[in-house]
Amino acid sequence: MKVNVLLKRRIRKRGDGAEREIEEEIRFHLEMLAQAYSQQKMSTDEAHDAARRRFGDVERVKNECLAIASRRSPFLVALKVFLIVMFASGLALRFFKMDSNVHHLGDVLMAVPTLSGLLLYVRSLDSSRFPSTSQGWPLRLNETIGPVFAAYDEGMRTPVERLISDK
Amino acid sequence: MANSRTDLMQGTLELLILKTLSREAMHGYGIAQLIHQAVDDVLKVEDGSLYPALYRMEERGWISSDWGLSENNRRAKFYKLTRAGRKQLNSESANWERVSRAVSRILQTA
Repeated sequence: MKVNVLLKRRIRKRGDGAEREIEEEIRFHLEMLAQAYSQQKMSTDEAHDAARRRFGDVERVKNECLAIASRRSPFLVALKVFLIVMFASGLALRFFKMDSNVHHLGDVLMAVPTLSGLLLYVRSLDSSRFPSTSQGWPLRLNETIGPVFAAYDEGMRTPVERLISDK
Repeated sequence: MANSRTDLMQGTLELLILKTLSREAMHGYGIAQLIHQAVDDVLKVEDGSLYPALYRMEERGWISSDWGLSENNRRAKFYKLTRAGRKQLNSESANWERVSRAVSRILQTA
């Protein structure tokens, strides 16, 4: 019980550390941007607003980074290694020990990591916890200066569509 | 919903970051500035979108990070390319060349 509490506290502490790091990184970026805008004769408020606009949604960026950082936490890595070792032990017991009691132990040792692995996988798929990509793909052509790379004709047909319809 | 006409191929941002970091270690702001200069406003890159990409790339082992001092003596996180990242850059660049050659060929024949 005590170990559990200590473990939870340690994970929370690590999460706080990651959050602080991300916040510091974002703050640095915003301040550098604001400084650059201030040099373009903007007022302090205008410069901060412009910096925020160019950066995008700070909370969304922070949450996405936190989600990624949490995936590479040493605790999760250790847990995965432990589950793999457990599965391998179960496999070894299942196939090399003929005693039926040991057989069952092997089954349990294989089942627990398999189910845990599935749970971890499903949890990693649950992206709804993090409000991400609400604004679409981050890298886009700048439409204000025209479709430089867009290979569409006046009728908005792609080259392949053009080939087919011109035949 | 994202505009499919102007959204670029997935992986393009990663390729731009890898290329930018192939010169030297850089903080996120520096990477954003260089990309903005290089793409000459043809591409719109929201500065914030760099960070999840950087974190993903670090998770994949393409880049590593260290805290250091910026040019104005502020604490900043610097990213640098790893050996795996350099390998990825070479393979992604070759891939990009291949795709763009193929698309150009189609455009010329159309």
